[in-house]
Amino acid sequence: MRDLFIIIKKELTELLRDKKTIINSIVLPTLLIPILMFGGIKVSQMIQENNQQKKVKLGLVNAPEDFVKLVANDTLNKVTTYDGTEDFKALINDGTMQSALVFPKDWQQKMDSLDVAEVLVHRNGTKDNVNGRISKLMEVYNTQLKEERISKLQIPVEKMTPMIQTYKETGEQKELIGKRVGGFIPYIFILTMWGGCLLAAIDLVTGEKERKTIETTLSLPVSKFSVLMGKAVVASLLGFIPALLNLTGLIIGLNFIDDIPDTFKVALTEMLNPQSIIMILLLLIPFSLFLAGLIISLVAGASTFKEAQSKASPIIILIIIPLVMALMPGIEFTWATVFIPVLNIGLGVKEIMAGTINIGMYAAMLVSLVTFAIAAIYFSYKKFSDESAILS
Amino acid sequence: MIQINNLTKSFTTKTGKGFKKETVIVNAVNDVSFECKPGRIFSLLGPNGAGKTTTLRMIAGIINPTSGNAVVDNVDISQGNDEVKKRIGFLTGSTGLYERLNPDETLDFFGKLYKLPEPQYTERKEYLFEKLGINEFRKKRMGQMSTGMKQKVSIARTLIHDPEVLIFDEPTSGLDVITADSIIELIRESKENNKTVIFSSHIMSEVDLLCDDLAIISKGNIIFNDSFDNFKKEMKADNLTQEFINRVKEA
Repeated sequence: MRDLFIIIKKELTELLRDKKTIINSIVLPTLLIPILMFGGIKVSQMIQENNQQKKVKLGLVNAPEDFVKLVANDTLNKVTTYDGTEDFKALINDGTMQSALVFPKDWQQKMDSLDVAEVLVHRNGTKDNVNGRISKLMEVYNTQLKEERISKLQIPVEKMTPMIQTYKETGEQKELIGKRVGGFIPYIFILTMWGGCLLAAIDLVTGEKERKTIETTLSLPVSKFSVLMGKAVVASLLGFIPALLNLTGLIIGLNFIDDIPDTFKVALTEMLNPQSIIMILLLLIPFSLFLAGLIISLVAGASTFKEAQSKASPIIILIIIPLVMALMPGIEFTWATVFIPVLNIGLGVKEIMAGTINIGMYAAMLVSLVTFAIAAIYFSYKKFSDESAILS
Repeated sequence: MIQINNLTKSFTTKTGKGFKKETVIVNAVNDVSFECKPGRIFSLLGPNGAGKTTTLRMIAGIINPTSGNAVVDNVDISQGNDEVKKRIGFLTGSTGLYERLNPDETLDFFGKLYKLPEPQYTERKEYLFEKLGINEFRKKRMGQMSTGMKQKVSIARTLIHDPEVLIFDEPTSGLDVITADSIIELIRESKENNKTVIFSSHIMSEVDLLCDDLAIISKGNIIFNDSFDNFKKEMKADNLTQEFINRVKEA
């Protein structure tokens, strides 16, 4: 055990003196989530504001006076009136206008006789902002016309409202948000965990071969198992720490970034309570060891950094697919999914954050992850003991 | 004392493409026997790929022999590699240094794993640092050092536990004459201290200077094994280098 700690200390010292490791394993994971949260909110706000301030070039044909007034009051203020014979498709395509509303010539007659009139909207379906704003405007005008007719017909408003729907939420806000966003959280930290483990494992195994120090280490009176365990523990630490920093970054982001909707902020803060965090971190310990063991066994035979990367990188697919599956509707945390690595973490974290985790299933998942970690370490030890692979 | 008896090391390699793969067993070292005595310097010479490094790795407990045995300072290598490793100082071209550590940290790491008592370790480290002139760069990281500086630190880490058996594979390769001389002096000092030394070099003048006993290995087989004096007596060529080349070609 003493030897193992000496090896861990030496490997950690070496890795933490590497700028690449510091940036990838400490700086980026800490800043990633706050930057994503802050940047995402700011960018969406900017887009929204920008869209609201944009002038829409609108063509009107036979438009009634009250509609023209409504348009004038809106920011849709670049209005051109046409007589109805123009080729609106060509005008929209060449940018003269962005949309055209063609009212029928007998509009007023139809309104007076309470008939239905058709308004032809020329538009490009891909311009969401323009179309959304025009639809909203038309809805407002339609409601205004409806109210005028109800008033004209002297019908009480309640008679025109046969049903109203009232929702009473039975699920807690925490459960609702937990199930919806809980799946994204492991998506972020498992990927940073993978990145940290990958870099560290390649540096500690293939890097040692490239720097010709593996033989130096093997000439020491320490068992190969201790050397391997030292490397696996450090690689898993360099995977676990970024995940921990991701969570820390999320908590910092929630506390210091304004503009996050209050309900969302309160629910997320409630979800990330000490109990949930401990439960998540407990899962990540065996999982990071599993990843470290798996990567070491893959890269043990590689003699260059590039070869090691090409051997280990395709495994990312086996991580992303279960994580994406965990986000899909219909895939639940059950006794069938509890033993599938990665998928179980994706689903389990959702349940933990929603506060609906079954403790028996959580324990089974933890045991299965520990078993996978032991198997990966055993497999990596076998590969690490292969003389021709490790000394190649 | 090192006693090598019928040591053989085979490697399995796969050749061929696609589904047609053949497994080929190659003997890198074939039935090798020799003896290295304390207080004498034993030179193991051979061209590249002759099986020299494989033999030294087996003696040092880094790889296991396929058959045969080796006894290092009264410990059979099959009895446990760690016990053998404690008795050996191993330095070859493939035993590099940890680039992100400095000499002090490197020797601390080795000292701790050799389980040296603190006062003995400190005294030994200071002695070696003084002797090899490491003090002026003891806090500099290995990655920022010259080849000569690195080799001095390599020698220091090889000798830190004052091992009974020393294996030096081309210890002066690429060094300036002054550094090489200080290393030659340390090897001589080890001999005077009754250590068992295996020394390998392609520089024949160094072999001539240090060697007491000699073995030549070629294609995994020992083709000469006797005292260096007898080798010189049997010489047909004008110089050591030519005699070595002739013997390897004849084998």
